[in-house]
Amino acid sequence: MKSACGVAALGLACTLAAVALSGYDRQPQPGTARIVSAADAFLATLTPEQRKREQFAFDDNEQRARWSNLPTGFVPRAGLSMGQLNASQRSAAMDLMAATLSPKGLEKVKEIVEGDEVLKQGSGGRDQNMFGKDLFYISILGTPSAKTPWMLQFGGHHLALNITIAGEQGILTPSLTGAQPALYTENGKTIRPLGAESDKGIALLNSLDESQRKQAILSFQVADLVLGPGQDGKTIVPEGLKASSMNAKQKAMLLDLISEWAGIVHQGAANARMNEIKAGLNETWFAWSGSTTVAPGRNIAAYYRIQGPKLVIEYAPQRLGGDLSMHVHTIYRDPTNDYGRGVTGK
Amino acid sequence: MKARLIVACVLALVAATPAFAHRLDEYLQATTISLDKENLHGQLRLTPGIAVFGKVLAAIDTNGDGLISQAEETAYADRVLADLSLSADGRRLEPVIASYKFDKLSLLKQGLGEIDVDFDAPLPAGVRKLVFENHHQSRISAYLVNCLVPEEPIRVTGQSRNSTQSHYELRLSEGTPSIATPAHGTALPPWYSAFALLVGVPFVWKRRRSVRSR
Repeated sequence: MKSACGVAALGLACTLAAVALSGYDRQPQPGTARIVSAADAFLATLTPEQRKREQFAFDDNEQRARWSNLPTGFVPRAGLSMGQLNASQRSAAMDLMAATLSPKGLEKVKEIVEGDEVLKQGSGGRDQNMFGKDLFYISILGTPSAKTPWMLQFGGHHLALNITIAGEQGILTPSLTGAQPALYTENGKTIRPLGAESDKGIALLNSLDESQRKQAILSFQVADLVLGPGQDGKTIVPEGLKASSMNAKQKAMLLDLISEWAGIVHQGAANARMNEIKAGLNETWFAWSGSTTVAPGRNIAAYYRIQGPKLVIEYAPQRLGGDLSMHVHTIYRDPTNDYGRGVTGK
Repeated sequence: MKARLIVACVLALVAATPAFAHRLDEYLQATTISLDKENLHGQLRLTPGIAVFGKVLAAIDTNGDGLISQAEETAYADRVLADLSLSADGRRLEPVIASYKFDKLSLLKQGLGEIDVDFDAPLPAGVRKLVFENHHQSRISAYLVNCLVPEEPIRVTGQSRNSTQSHYELRLSEGTPSIATPAHGTALPPWYSAFALLVGVPFVWKRRRSVRSR
């Protein structure tokens, strides 16, 4: 009897460990119903005129593609900007973002937005209409529904989230994140909006042995994103080191790095996406170009790309501003399912 | 002296960031090559930075009136094409312009606009090696060049570039696609493994004990 209890206890311990390791239940899953409810609540705060500007047809391809790394003064966005919303409308908009994203994803978004405000302040007020947190736009394509596909867009300078909600699926591709400055202080705290993307990238590179590094490190410069805005639906020939040549620890590091993008969306959708990426992991490539060192507490000044059967991630430091470690653009795509087309067919 | 002045101007622009736009002191030229059994199609996206736009405009606006006419667009697209070279198994290919598009001059001046030049070239049957070179405005340019994953039966077996990506070699064969199709692995949900552990561990433990006791 004693041994039976011990066996049951061991089984229970293993179960709990498995659940904990899977990260499955770290937070209550928001689910589509909760996102739809937050979207409806946000739309209910808008005037009829605002709703007209906020909502688009689900298959409005022009609006889908109306995103960029560039400031809104150069590439105008549509929908409603945060600056056009009153306090309660803005709060409802952020509640919608909180329901749609993971806590970590929401924090990343807020840090990118705040970084743009820092950029505005740093320009000495010359760029009131170019930068700043009032110039981030929210738009809805289709009608929020738990069953019928629809899309939520949120973005501005250095940010473009395109989230297709199709039933319980939350598809975050294509999305762009970026930062300038890539490091700033807020209330005495150092903020690096895309610091984890940099730190985990170079940690993975440093984990590779000499022969793996030879394959991963490209012998040429990569000056910018290859599959940035406007390059929808393209799959380039992959290069670098194939994950099938990585050991288990390196594969885990690669997945952890990928989760910096896949994990922006709420956990239920992120888990499904990570499972999809894991299924193609052995066919996933990691390529690096540029400096292989980094100053402590700073971002890398190198480009890297992760490419799998259903995944493209690029991290591309930018020369504008003079310091490659202080300005970065990244892109996150699924060439088979950008804007949820692989699921919705639209 | 002139070079120092240019450097000083560029530094001044850098210091003045973020008031300025996107690309600054280089002319980004991104080429995407796509292949089918009979044709090569190239898409060249040219993005001049604001600090080098004067040089680029001088090459486009040949009559110096500060505007870009249709004839000047055509002539510039031809000039870009003439600065490219393409060969298949050592034999020179003759690409032709498929289309071109210039963004508004006001956008180009801010380092935001693009010039797109698309070109085509017939592809000899059974080609094994393609070489693409871009020498357009090499002193101010940053190059990118990539190939889209071709449709079957063409397969890219290798690619190499020089350090600036102005020289690109593609090795080809016929076979399966160069990027594997998704494995579509049936990833089990975490509750499944938890359930298996809950049921399986006590079962295996008990069985081992009974084997030992025999």
